[in-house]
Amino acid sequence: MKSTRGEKIFYFVNHLFLGLVSLTCLLPLLYIIATSLSSSSAVMSGKVYLWPVQFTLESYDLIFRGTPILRGLLNSLTLTLVGVLLSMVFTILAAYPLSKDYLYARKAFTMLMVFTMLFGGGLIPSYLVVKSLGLINSYWSLWLPGLVSTYNMIVLRTFFTNIPRELEEAARMDGCGELRLIVQIFLPLSLPCIATLSLFYAVSYWNMFRNVLIYINSTAKYNLAVMVNNMIQNQTLLDPNFMQAEDISQVTPQGIQTAGVIVMVLPIILVYPFLQKYFVKGVMIGSVKG
Amino acid sequence: MTAHSIPVLSEKRKKLQSRRRLRQNIPLLLMLLPVLAFYIIFKYLPMGGLVIAFKDYNFADGIFGSPWVGMKNFSLLFTGTNTLGIIRNTFVLSLLRLICGFPAPVILAILLNEVQRNWYRRSLQTVMYMPHFFSWVIMGGIISTIFAQDGVINQLIQMFGGEAVAFMYKPSSWIAIFIGSDIWKGMGYGSIIYLAALTGVDPALYESAVLDGANKWKQVWHITLPSIRSTILTMFILATGNIMDVGFDQVFVLQNGAVNEVADVISTYVYRTGLQGAQFSRATAMGLFDSLVGFILVVVTNRIAKSFGENLW
Repeated sequence: MKSTRGEKIFYFVNHLFLGLVSLTCLLPLLYIIATSLSSSSAVMSGKVYLWPVQFTLESYDLIFRGTPILRGLLNSLTLTLVGVLLSMVFTILAAYPLSKDYLYARKAFTMLMVFTMLFGGGLIPSYLVVKSLGLINSYWSLWLPGLVSTYNMIVLRTFFTNIPRELEEAARMDGCGELRLIVQIFLPLSLPCIATLSLFYAVSYWNMFRNVLIYINSTAKYNLAVMVNNMIQNQTLLDPNFMQAEDISQVTPQGIQTAGVIVMVLPIILVYPFLQKYFVKGVMIGSVKG
Repeated sequence: MTAHSIPVLSEKRKKLQSRRRLRQNIPLLLMLLPVLAFYIIFKYLPMGGLVIAFKDYNFADGIFGSPWVGMKNFSLLFTGTNTLGIIRNTFVLSLLRLICGFPAPVILAILLNEVQRNWYRRSLQTVMYMPHFFSWVIMGGIISTIFAQDGVINQLIQMFGGEAVAFMYKPSSWIAIFIGSDIWKGMGYGSIIYLAALTGVDPALYESAVLDGANKWKQVWHITLPSIRSTILTMFILATGNIMDVGFDQVFVLQNGAVNEVADVISTYVYRTGLQGAQFSRATAMGLFDSLVGFILVVVTNRIAKSFGENLW
């Protein structure tokens, strides 16, 4: 089909507009990267836009030596890795039985879980439960209250339901038990879905902020999100004993803040390209009504 | 289905079947057990804990021992000018967010769908989905750096002869930044679901529309939008359910003393009075009000959507 003049104009404007929109997503990030890699004098005199001016790794050197950000990074990694593992195990444990039509009270169980998506006790009662279980200041207070995301569970359940029954029956004939059935048949077949949900969980654990503020008191256990936020709010988290006079003169709050931001986004940006095809798929599975 | 012709056999078979079903159910129920424990302890127990909204909670007496006060906490909330302002802020910010933010991903999806070159579309998508994965802490860092008094936006303004603006400290510009950043963060990712719906539209419809002389605008209005109507409605119901849910993180990282008058919302209030001020009962009352409004909104919009022939459950 040949496009008319009007269509050509439309396509041109559309391409241009979308290009500009995506630039607004990219430019702020480039600006932050450039600022974190520029010398303090260049930042202060406002010479930095999208490219580092007087390239230096000073800011990174400072935050890694002068602030506890490395510990925050390790804490965030622990929080995320263990959290994803726990959440996935429990999500599978919920989704698998609910995908079977011969499960007793299947509807009731599903309703029990779905209802929590619509209504909840809210912050304070949850806090009191966590407190009375003695979980305050332990990472269990971050892992347990959000262990299963009902949305993710429904997505996985839908995926399991669509796995052909014949496969399951054939495996049972061969004397395959329930656990082996899950591990050897269901999980390998739903790998894309598992990957997507793990990504969803990983992002929420990595970015976890409010619950850390609420449940974790000792600064040694803070994750990156809370630490970077403190850097942004209090300008810097530099340990005064650590800094020598010459270092202090080099410091700009912007340098520290932007470097902190980059330390926190970098892992996401690094894994992002590999996971893109998965999360697109995941959203589409989720769009199937549960 | 020959079984029902021989009643005795069918009876036996039924018994066998139900025994088989029981046997099959045991491992499943065992699997569900820890999950149910999670839901009961961390979802339903807190719902029970909501009773402290009607009590004067103190640590010494606990949830059960604390004295009942009836609706006192609620009447305090709905008479205090401070708390009324917070409720108003929550409604205003979320309504603005719904009105400005809801159409954005729909429009974006329609525009993206019109991009013919695959590589261009894919790179646009890659870039536009990304902000969704950044935490609000990061967004806060980016926003406060860019819109700072000496930030890049003000530098550009001054370069063109304007005056620097304290963007983060003026209520009007703060609200604009708040809503804008929310749209900016979620727009790309939100468009995925509509793009998925758009792939299901029959291209033949467009072809015949073109033959009938329909221009792009008419095609969108008469073909594209009606085809993804049910997706739009479903997403709209979900969005109304979240209307009270002005995210804590977003407000917390963007908030500052100068704009508290418009920026303080229910979630930050609950955090401040409940956890920092230890007024558990009052904060819980606010939280309960919040969840109830959200719940009612979902149910009502779902009811309305049902009358249009669409519903969530």
